[in-house]
Amino acid sequence: MTRESEKLDLLKRARDVLGACHPFSRREFILMTGSIAIGLAALDAWGAKEPPLIIMDQANGLVIADATKCVGCRRCELACTEFNDGKASPAIARIKVGRNLNFGPQGLHAGQRGHGTWGSGLVVQDLCKQCPHPVPCANACPNDAIVVKPPTNARVVDSSKCIGCKMCQKACPWEMMSFDSDTDKATKCFLCDGNPKCVEACPAGALSYVAWIDVKEKSPRRIVPTAIVAPAKAQTCNECLRK
Amino acid sequence: MSKYGGWAGKVLRVDLSTGRTSTEDTIEKYKDYLGGTGIGYKVIWDEVPAGTGAFDTANKIIFAVGPLAGTGAPCNGRTAITTLWPTCWPRPLVASGHMGGNFAAELKYAGYDAIVIEGKADRPVWLSIVDSKVEIKDARQLWGQGIRRTTVEINQQLGSEASVAAIGQAGENLVPMSVVINSYSHSAGGVGGVMGSKNLKAIGVRGTGSVRIAGNKAEWEKVIKMHLSLLGANNQHVVPNSPQPWAEYYNAGSRWVAAPGRRWGAADPNIDTGICEPHNLNKIAYRTNNAAFFLGERAWQYTIRGNGCTACPIRCHTMLRVPAVAAKYGIRETGQNTCAGMVLGRAFFKKFPDGPKGQTAIEACMIGMHLADDLGIWENYGQLQRDFQALYYNGIFGHKVEQKEFKSYSWDKYEQGDPAFLFELLPRIAHKEGELATALELGTGYLLERWNIPEQEWLENPNLLYWKLGHPKHHANEDAGQCGVIINTQYNRDAQCHSHSNFTRNGLPIDIQKRLATELWGSPDAVDAVMAFAPMNVYKARMAKWSLLRKELHDSLSLCNWMGPWVASPLREREYRGEDSIESLLYSLATGDRKSRRELDQVAERIFLLNRALTIRDMGTKDMRTKHDTVPDWVFADPKDNAAFGKGTIRMDRDDIKLAMDMYYEEMGWDKKTGSPTREAYQRLGLGDVADILSKQGLLA
Repeated sequence: MTRESEKLDLLKRARDVLGACHPFSRREFILMTGSIAIGLAALDAWGAKEPPLIIMDQANGLVIADATKCVGCRRCELACTEFNDGKASPAIARIKVGRNLNFGPQGLHAGQRGHGTWGSGLVVQDLCKQCPHPVPCANACPNDAIVVKPPTNARVVDSSKCIGCKMCQKACPWEMMSFDSDTDKATKCFLCDGNPKCVEACPAGALSYVAWIDVKEKSPRRIVPTAIVAPAKAQTCNECLRK
Repeated sequence: MSKYGGWAGKVLRVDLSTGRTSTEDTIEKYKDYLGGTGIGYKVIWDEVPAGTGAFDTANKIIFAVGPLAGTGAPCNGRTAITTLWPTCWPRPLVASGHMGGNFAAELKYAGYDAIVIEGKADRPVWLSIVDSKVEIKDARQLWGQGIRRTTVEINQQLGSEASVAAIGQAGENLVPMSVVINSYSHSAGGVGGVMGSKNLKAIGVRGTGSVRIAGNKAEWEKVIKMHLSLLGANNQHVVPNSPQPWAEYYNAGSRWVAAPGRRWGAADPNIDTGICEPHNLNKIAYRTNNAAFFLGERAWQYTIRGNGCTACPIRCHTMLRVPAVAAKYGIRETGQNTCAGMVLGRAFFKKFPDGPKGQTAIEACMIGMHLADDLGIWENYGQLQRDFQALYYNGIFGHKVEQKEFKSYSWDKYEQGDPAFLFELLPRIAHKEGELATALELGTGYLLERWNIPEQEWLENPNLLYWKLGHPKHHANEDAGQCGVIINTQYNRDAQCHSHSNFTRNGLPIDIQKRLATELWGSPDAVDAVMAFAPMNVYKARMAKWSLLRKELHDSLSLCNWMGPWVASPLREREYRGEDSIESLLYSLATGDRKSRRELDQVAERIFLLNRALTIRDMGTKDMRTKHDTVPDWVFADPKDNAAFGKGTIRMDRDDIKLAMDMYYEEMGWDKKTGSPTREAYQRLGLGDVADILSKQGLLA
């Protein structure tokens, strides 16, 4: 397949995915196809120079949560953003409690059968799983801006590479990617380099920092991911598995 | 980037008469008043003329928070709502209600420090705020619905994360004894009817922005952790209520109720609150269980968890699951609230078949929360129920209400302590059905006037705890002797000040309290052991002034005065000292506007003085001492006729309280004869223009 036809094919597939699965507005569609084009530019770069970044290393640590202990104070969200970003900003917190606080993860349609303050009382904390390979957010990034950072091997956003396309947000099934509108960059849990502020901040001891375990398959998804994996990245699967 | 952190930077103006919305610059216009009640008083002073009625279109209602709301400063979740107070008798005067929950933070994230509601809509509306998008929306569908349904319907439009402050049927029907509620259980009393009078059903807020911390983030983290380390349990009780291996002291009256074996029994699986050693900041949330504190040991088995405001580790709203009430009364089995809101249902009854802390009493509380927090009824800090009991058992209801109506209530149920009686009573209050309910919903002052009962009877009755202006005492002589009395003379509703009681009731032995008092107010004599009060001295006046200023400061910064100040701590290594400058440290770092403790207290004094000026202006008299700062007669009596200053009595002495007021006015720099601030007092705080206006009206001391 020529590079040109590869591009066309990718755009076609993107349109199919968008048309079939997601009620995107026209504006979002244009934004997205725009970002795909940028991704393709990067593809050119990969093709010419270095292979795309595929994260294979496991993370070393993980924050896990006990929902029965959460008291819904959101001090975790505030510690995450104040101590790291110098602002109180639950919208970009890398632990997400506020969205489940009132009505639980299923939202208010679950009524009293649901969770949260208006339901059973249970407050579910959403956390980054520090996914093993394949890492959805990193694989969706057209700029390889989500990288592994020692010593925790957390998957972190390299803001010098991030262009703010939000593809990672559409890739994470648990909606754990945030977008900081002050910096126009994506942001995600980076385990505070091994000393997570949220864990320290929880007044109910509901959070723990533990050696990494794979919780990816055990956690119910919040959304159906709609991001595209660039062919050059997908190609690496062939190279790897068909050997 | 704006010069200051902390503040969102904008005040939202909503004119319901014209449908116009606009914004003002917070810093330009209100920085000298910080936020919260400061903005509230300023708007009322500038814009609402004397003589305005609470339900008049000209009255305004100001939802305001301060620079610390929405940050990680502990205990910042309260929204101050200021307006002319409908239950203030015999005329409405300025006052504020305070609700916790998530509203304050959400408002900040949406980009506002305050909302000023003006005018009156020509049909029911609700206010929708999604970041910078502000819309006045049709609420005809919501009108007639309870707070719960209203909230859910608005959340369906704004999303699960929005915070909704709504009124119930009580507010719609212009019931003066009504509330606005957000986040399920967080209410502000007295203001529901004012919203109703403006046809404003609710305010829904969704904010996705942030609050910037101006100072160095590492320093901010340090101060936050320091503040957290000083926290006790609810009401800043700093010792546990039972002996603990780590604790040097304990006090049975403490709200620090966690202990091994005391479990959140309705958590699944249940959770042992266990050892909550003060240095373990990851267990602060377990210290408090106000259901157990107010409803007794039985409440532990029903506890799901602690709940409360954004950013507060003290979870004073306890969430309960009581399965029996679903089967017995057909209401949902979960409920939550704190303090007066939690015991609302129970407090109507004189007795229950199984005692005041038995199962029936808990069920009464569950029904009370279920009904009152949906209909939006206010209990006026328990005065509603005390009035109710007195009026029934003294035969006044039977006398004032027509027989047919009187007999329509199941008084046998009531006398037996059957909580189902509440289903007959509370909806009628919210709907003003019949004479009995209509009188009750007016609030004490207007009720007494309607039924030609002399206020004097209430002023003398030691069981009613009535203070003045239609409102009860709130932490008065029973908690802090003369200091408590002075504080209770100053406001136009119950005083809502906890600065003093959070110290005197913190659970520490009196010798330690006296040592701390010496550092804070200059002498160990500033505080006495509770119920062993000594005669007045100037240090008590100093403590009273400090208490009032800190209350106003907290209400303006958005710190919770139900938790602060933090001048005592649970830390033995600090010799139980707290930190008197914590407010100034938090304020300076969050905003970038460096102010010392003294400077910040001066701002608080300016705010407090503006409240005073408003009261003087609207009462049309400068003689505050005899016309406003009054003390009810029951304070000077004792049921067993024990003399004042003896052990075991809260009785005060008339001459001694006169001296107390003298000393207090002197501390404030006010005129002793009238109790009014002098021109110098106003000018010293930058309120020369206020003095000019009062002077023209002959209202300056």
